[in-house]
Amino acid sequence: MHEFSIAEALAAQVLAHAPAGARVRGIEIVVGALRGLEPDALRTCWDAVTFGTPMAGSTLEVDLRPWSIRCSSCGREWSSPVPFVACLCGNSTPAPVGGDELDLVAITVDEGGT
Amino acid sequence: MSEPARTLRLPMVERVLEANDEIADETRDELARRGIFAIDLIGAPGSGKTALLEATLQLLKGRRRPAVLVGDLATRRDGDRLARWCDQVVQISTGEGCHLEANQVRDALRQVDLEGVDLLFIENVGNLICPVGFDLGQTAKVGMFSLTEGDDKAAKHPYLVTAADLLLLNKIDLAPHLSFDRVGFEADVRLLNPRVPMLEVSATSGQGLERWIAWIDRASVARASAARGQALG
Repeated sequence: MHEFSIAEALAAQVLAHAPAGARVRGIEIVVGALRGLEPDALRTCWDAVTFGTPMAGSTLEVDLRPWSIRCSSCGREWSSPVPFVACLCGNSTPAPVGGDELDLVAITVDEGGT
Repeated sequence: MSEPARTLRLPMVERVLEANDEIADETRDELARRGIFAIDLIGAPGSGKTALLEATLQLLKGRRRPAVLVGDLATRRDGDRLARWCDQVVQISTGEGCHLEANQVRDALRQVDLEGVDLLFIENVGNLICPVGFDLGQTAKVGMFSLTEGDDKAAKHPYLVTAADLLLLNKIDLAPHLSFDRVGFEADVRLLNPRVPMLEVSATSGQGLERWIAWIDRASVARASAARGQALG
């Protein structure tokens, strides 16, 4: 369940970036295919670790990057949510290439208000 | 007069595990300064990580000066097994943690007398998924699969296959008794990582272990000369 550790790291990071007194409404992250992260599991963990904090109730948007598949027989390239897929040309073993990025790309906050 | 709240979107690009990675980099620098080659050993529960380290420590006796960190959710059993063959063993209890993180390794290293150590084994928590994404400050990541797990495990765990500096296929002595497709297994590995070296070993029979030891020695020397090259600028 590495989602929990990642949610904890993310919460610390978001809190460090959010302006003092601001309420955090949304978080956006980008996740490479290699990470094997399950967005729903991560959201469950996010809700748990942010409970009772200025981030409580915020939405976590996960941009899960797909695999890039390259066929060595016909040269076709395409993206796929799963790594091992056959090519239309008949080649059953095109090479899957995935990224391992795990980046925080935006925070949306409500600031001020009286 | 009350003022409405302003909604602001703050764009940024920052690694989520940056805090972990910073600690890992400090550990890596410290180990490099001391000339210690550090291996993060990652494999499934029951794949034979501890058995491999037991056999490895015996083979290295008198030749290298190793220390071992071993992570488990519960019990000190692995640490006790390894302490028979090495006087510098630290068991890390991760509680509910399914993988080691850089701060746990840093803290455990404080319990090791690093003076005179030239090789560090970090046996990660048995798990093919979570440990891969957490940098510990290792010099090399070694992934371990075994014949009893089935021949589809490389394909099902692409992050470990792509991240590994070496892959071990353990329990090779059981090949006559199992229908493990070694050709298919290697084909899956090669699709994901065309260059990673692969060694077939048996921690219990000793088969292939001389090549594993040779890899450790070669990789340690290569790392040390690369570090010297960097120091010379």
